[in-house]
Amino acid sequence: MLKQVSFRPWLWCDALLVFVLMPTLAGATDTNQPAQSFGDLGDLTIEQLVNVKVTSVAKGQTDLFASPAAIAVVTADDIRRLGLTSIPEALRLVPGMDVAQINAAEWAVSARGFNAEFGRDLLVLIDGRTVYTPSSAGVFWDAQDVVMDDLDRIEVIRGPGATLWGANAVNGVINVISKSARETQGLLVSGSAGSVEQDSVTVRYGGELASNLYYRVYAQRSDMSDLANSNGKSSGDAWNSSLGGFRADWEPPSPNVLTLQGDYYYSEAAQPSELVSLTPPAVTLLNTSEYNQGGNILGRWTHTVSDSSQMTLQTYYDHVEQNTGFGIEYLNTYDIDLQDRFSLGSWNDFVWGTGYRYQDVDDTPSFELTWLPQTQHLRLFNIFAQDDIKIVPDRLHLILGNKFEDNSLVQWEVEPNGRLLWTPTESQTLWAAVSRAARTPSLFELDTRLNAAAFQPAPASPPALVSVFGNPNSTAEKLLAYEAGYRVEPVRSLSFDLTGFYNVYQHLLVQVANPTAIETSPAPTHLLISSSYMNAGAGDTYGVELSSQWRVFENWRLTASYSWLGTRLTPVSDFAQSPQQQFQLRSYLDLPYHLELNGAVYLVGRSTGPLSAGFEEIPSYVRADLGLIWSPRKWLQVGLWGENLLQSEHIEFSSQETPALTEVPRSVLAKVTVRF
Amino acid sequence: MNKSRFQHHSLRGQHWLAQVIAWAACLGLWCESCLVGRAEGSLTEYQVKALYLLNFIKYVDWPPNTIAGSNAPTTIGLCGESKLGEALKIVAAGKSIGGRLIAIREIGATNDFSPCQILFISDAESFRMRQILEKASALPILTVGEGAAFAQNGGIINFVLKNGTVRLEINLSAAKKAGLTISSRLLAVADVVKGKAD
Repeated sequence: MLKQVSFRPWLWCDALLVFVLMPTLAGATDTNQPAQSFGDLGDLTIEQLVNVKVTSVAKGQTDLFASPAAIAVVTADDIRRLGLTSIPEALRLVPGMDVAQINAAEWAVSARGFNAEFGRDLLVLIDGRTVYTPSSAGVFWDAQDVVMDDLDRIEVIRGPGATLWGANAVNGVINVISKSARETQGLLVSGSAGSVEQDSVTVRYGGELASNLYYRVYAQRSDMSDLANSNGKSSGDAWNSSLGGFRADWEPPSPNVLTLQGDYYYSEAAQPSELVSLTPPAVTLLNTSEYNQGGNILGRWTHTVSDSSQMTLQTYYDHVEQNTGFGIEYLNTYDIDLQDRFSLGSWNDFVWGTGYRYQDVDDTPSFELTWLPQTQHLRLFNIFAQDDIKIVPDRLHLILGNKFEDNSLVQWEVEPNGRLLWTPTESQTLWAAVSRAARTPSLFELDTRLNAAAFQPAPASPPALVSVFGNPNSTAEKLLAYEAGYRVEPVRSLSFDLTGFYNVYQHLLVQVANPTAIETSPAPTHLLISSSYMNAGAGDTYGVELSSQWRVFENWRLTASYSWLGTRLTPVSDFAQSPQQQFQLRSYLDLPYHLELNGAVYLVGRSTGPLSAGFEEIPSYVRADLGLIWSPRKWLQVGLWGENLLQSEHIEFSSQETPALTEVPRSVLAKVTVRF
Repeated sequence: MNKSRFQHHSLRGQHWLAQVIAWAACLGLWCESCLVGRAEGSLTEYQVKALYLLNFIKYVDWPPNTIAGSNAPTTIGLCGESKLGEALKIVAAGKSIGGRLIAIREIGATNDFSPCQILFISDAESFRMRQILEKASALPILTVGEGAAFAQNGGIINFVLKNGTVRLEINLSAAKKAGLTISSRLLAVADVVKGKAD
């Protein structure tokens, strides 16, 4: 089945039908055990009870099933089974998520439309620390390397989460959560080799310093090979990343838990960049080796009084030195947050919080990109409150919340939301929500001048310079979102999750052309063809996201999801078009002899970046990944994965930076993990 | 890149969508067949825990005359909200073990659990756990919990989830202090742990 090479989706789906029906027929004999009700089971002996497998739903999962938002979780098990090596690759698993690899080091990640290198409407937090950059409004994914083995889960909320998470949580919030040091005790050494992720070595050691005080230290080094572009040449985008850090958790048998963690990373990436000049040659393409580095330290105190009463105080410092392709950006972030949850009588679960963030951003200017002023000081203060009102206990909840946020760049923002949650039975959830969210303009959209290109219009004429200007009068983009969802678990082994949304956007920032002018400085005198950011875009998006999990047998799980997205934004050509349709099917199969066979197929519809900016259309593609894991001993695991097995290469994203698009190739990865 | 190549590759959405719907319909059919012939073999965590509690009555000996009157029931007290209560009511209904019926008593904030022979302290009460254990430890009550370090903190039996099964931890010195004798058959399937006081 996996040998199907040509792209004919309908054939694929027929194959999938067989795939799905086969076990149904085979399973018929297995399910015909005599029915026995629970009440008759009182005679089970103690020896029998010890071996009964329970189908309990963990606390978190219960909350997930009955949560009034489009929430999905990528688990540590997903990451391990599919041999995922980066956060963006793990985000592919989320229903409706648009993940496209730009080149070896860069990904475009978004939810519900607007895909771009900087998925500007997604807020990303790693262990509670924001990695959203204020200068370009997005995430440098290559600077977010983590030890994948130490991740507990990645929680993704599609749709606005601004009331709890703040500005820029417009189309989604991604929470990357690592395991407590208590759960990562002992030595872990893993090494991998492959055709794209060439080699990677991770060493982690966890121990107990004192009673209930756990720690881990880790180091990781990865080398990624360069990818080929559509001209068959190297994209010159090889990179490497070195990472080290620690985490300590003090978890005494008291209501207090203390966490202290820190990271430092250094990465080198050979990235294509452009040199623009008013004297010939107008544009020089360069493949320069850039370095990025950064570090952070975070402390968190959680005081839990009961299930419904908890207080968290968190503070961190984060330093980033990121080469933007035009110069180096230095970003320092100081952040403190307090969150307090408690019950108000038996009807209300109340949560409130407040936070303050100070950031200084310094960008070295170049002819291509200048920042005015060069150094910026950003202050962000927020306060929020949300009440979960039990109208009918365990059945009907009304959730009302609001956040006030004061950003030194723009005026006050108000980000309210209202949600209704109805759980008519334990196995069904219906929810609906209306929320408002805002995206703060990036520094790039406010205060920069980008000289993007230069050319000679005619042999004797002065040169022409193409520039983009930030607009200091830019205001925040606004979203009003309507969402509704239904989850059902018809039987223990099968569940469905359906979400629909309708998003109305206003004041979207787009580039509006200025009249052509003559500029004398910098010399020589030249024509200036420029555009400026204006809050001139608007429109709506709508769509559905359906996912299903099916435990076919105790040892076989299938997960499928389908999403459909409609976009009506004006001006049309100024916005990226995410794929209209996406489908994925994942299969996790446990085999005898300690083997696991895991596979995933992704069908992604065609997409395009903003056509006015010269982006090309990306055709639809199919990805198929297949992996075999062998765990002969408790301490040893060997895995072999093949990725993109169906096509020798495909393009996932159109980037302006390179004349030829980078192709994602077929690849293999082998990994050995040893734990003591 | 020429555009015709894109068109050649472009998704034929309708075909695709139709097939996905067919796929979903098949899932639906399967699900229906599965409802009809559904095996009831698997139990939830709390159903298993409720069944354990009944078994404890058989495998634990209380001091003589703990229960006043030969017709009085064995009383199981429940501290804290838990799905266990519901499961226990179903499985204990009308059952008699050792010639005694089973009574279930929900323990409120008053902590009046003196008439109980078994006291289950749910995870939701983990922050009252020490206070409850302190009060119960001097009484002939089998304290059963499900929190981290319950047995280490002086509880007698703790439920632990291990590889999808519910296992037991038993603190023998706490049992001895309460005057209870635990049968070897129960000990054989449990992990014996030491209390912090030992």
